[in-house]
Amino acid sequence: MLQLTLVELYKIITKPRSYIGFLAVTVVILLIQFALYLQGDNYINFVFQNLQQTFVMQGNILNGNQICFIILQTLIMQMPLMVALVTGDLISGEAATGTIRLLTTRPFSRIQILLSKYFAGTIYTVCLVAWLGLLALGLSRLIFGDGDIIVIKSESLIILRSTDVLWRFMFAFLIAIVSLVVISSFSMMLSCFTDNSIGPIIISMSVIIVFTIIGTIEVPIFDYIKPFLFTTHMIIWRNLFDNPLDKKQIMESLSVLVFHIAAFLGISLYHFNNKDIQS
Amino acid sequence: MKQKIFFSAIVLMIFSVQLMAQNPKQLIAAVNKKFNSVQDYSADLKMDFNIPSVNIQTIKGKVFFKKPNKFRVRTHGIVFLPKENPAYALTLLADTNSYTALINGEEKIGNCVCKVVNVIPNKDGDMILGKFWIDAKTALVMRSQLTTKSNGTIQMDNTYEENNLLPSKILFTVDIAKFKIPKALAVDINSKSSTNKSYNTKTAGFITLNFSNYKVNQKLQDAVFTEEEK
Repeated sequence: MLQLTLVELYKIITKPRSYIGFLAVTVVILLIQFALYLQGDNYINFVFQNLQQTFVMQGNILNGNQICFIILQTLIMQMPLMVALVTGDLISGEAATGTIRLLTTRPFSRIQILLSKYFAGTIYTVCLVAWLGLLALGLSRLIFGDGDIIVIKSESLIILRSTDVLWRFMFAFLIAIVSLVVISSFSMMLSCFTDNSIGPIIISMSVIIVFTIIGTIEVPIFDYIKPFLFTTHMIIWRNLFDNPLDKKQIMESLSVLVFHIAAFLGISLYHFNNKDIQS
Repeated sequence: MKQKIFFSAIVLMIFSVQLMAQNPKQLIAAVNKKFNSVQDYSADLKMDFNIPSVNIQTIKGKVFFKKPNKFRVRTHGIVFLPKENPAYALTLLADTNSYTALINGEEKIGNCVCKVVNVIPNKDGDMILGKFWIDAKTALVMRSQLTTKSNGTIQMDNTYEENNLLPSKILFTVDIAKFKIPKALAVDINSKSSTNKSYNTKTAGFITLNFSNYKVNQKLQDAVFTEEEK
């Protein structure tokens, strides 16, 4: 099983598209850091303009932790697309090239083959999030230094002390991994149903975009749908920066995400195990 | 005869006390005299915040003041400070030629019966009106309220420990506008907008400064107010 997973990882590594996510994350993070280094004060003044009418805000506001938080807010909606680009291709890509038939003739069960691909996809996701963390948190703290975070919500602010943020970031990255594994499971499930690699990637991206739009629009009828969309729960990492923590809400959302992973993986296993592979 | 002299003395004393109490210049002069004995100070500071829509924890730091109007709060972290520093009101009173003062009755603050002194600036500037609640017995400003063009009204309630010139606690009350930025900018997708659409309504925010371990007239260097935080 380990050998099979390593082979699948090797396949991911040798595909050029696997590096698009890393490249995009690097470019976006460096751009944000560069822009905020040069003109971060303008951003701060714009966001806090009505508070600055009354108060003097004192302290190192544009610090590494704050920059990391801004980057996470910006990138977290795009990361699923980068993951789907790789994991949506894991089964259907092999079906398209005809290698899936060859693979299933080897002395491994179909469940083992699918699980090895799933684990390889998960490892890729973990690496992508780790790279994001290294650049967003590590590099930002190196450039901008340590400091308190101002969690900017649409109608309120939460100021968290620097001693109280590192563990929140670590858990936020863990939740980001779970959220992205939902996407990898979903795109891999779609990948089991088709024989071309583009379809699952496009469908995954479309679903994420549609679900996100539904989550953003404040129309009462969507309020009934929102709790059932996995995109609603994928941004629960933000709740880790609340004070006090709403642990119940975080655990509920995590449960929903884990349920989605189990459901997508279960459907994938069932379908792939019973699939009539003809290509 | 003795009774007449005694009665006259009592009447004269009451009259002169009333006359003195009703003279804002003398009242302010007494306040200034006390404040003049302080050239600079430093103190430990604990700040508590109760600002609507801003969740910020208590923070400790150090505060420095030097005449005429140098003020600095040093903390390890982000803080929200009122635009007017705590000594601003007293600095304002010190320049007696720049305003006209009027006594506007008496009010009780805690256990003190205070004279309410209205201060109207002589020149057109940012400040529109200053109101000072002065305890005539101790010549201490118990409350000040400044109305400015740029920052609205800010009120400072001072609490003094016994025989202390400087307050052990100042409660700032400020008018603040509702904080609101677009959800897309905050990437606050899951939150619901409040139903209250009156964005212009102002609410009161409170900042409490608790001072301790005062060190007065230590000849603070100017660099204390300019050097960067470590």
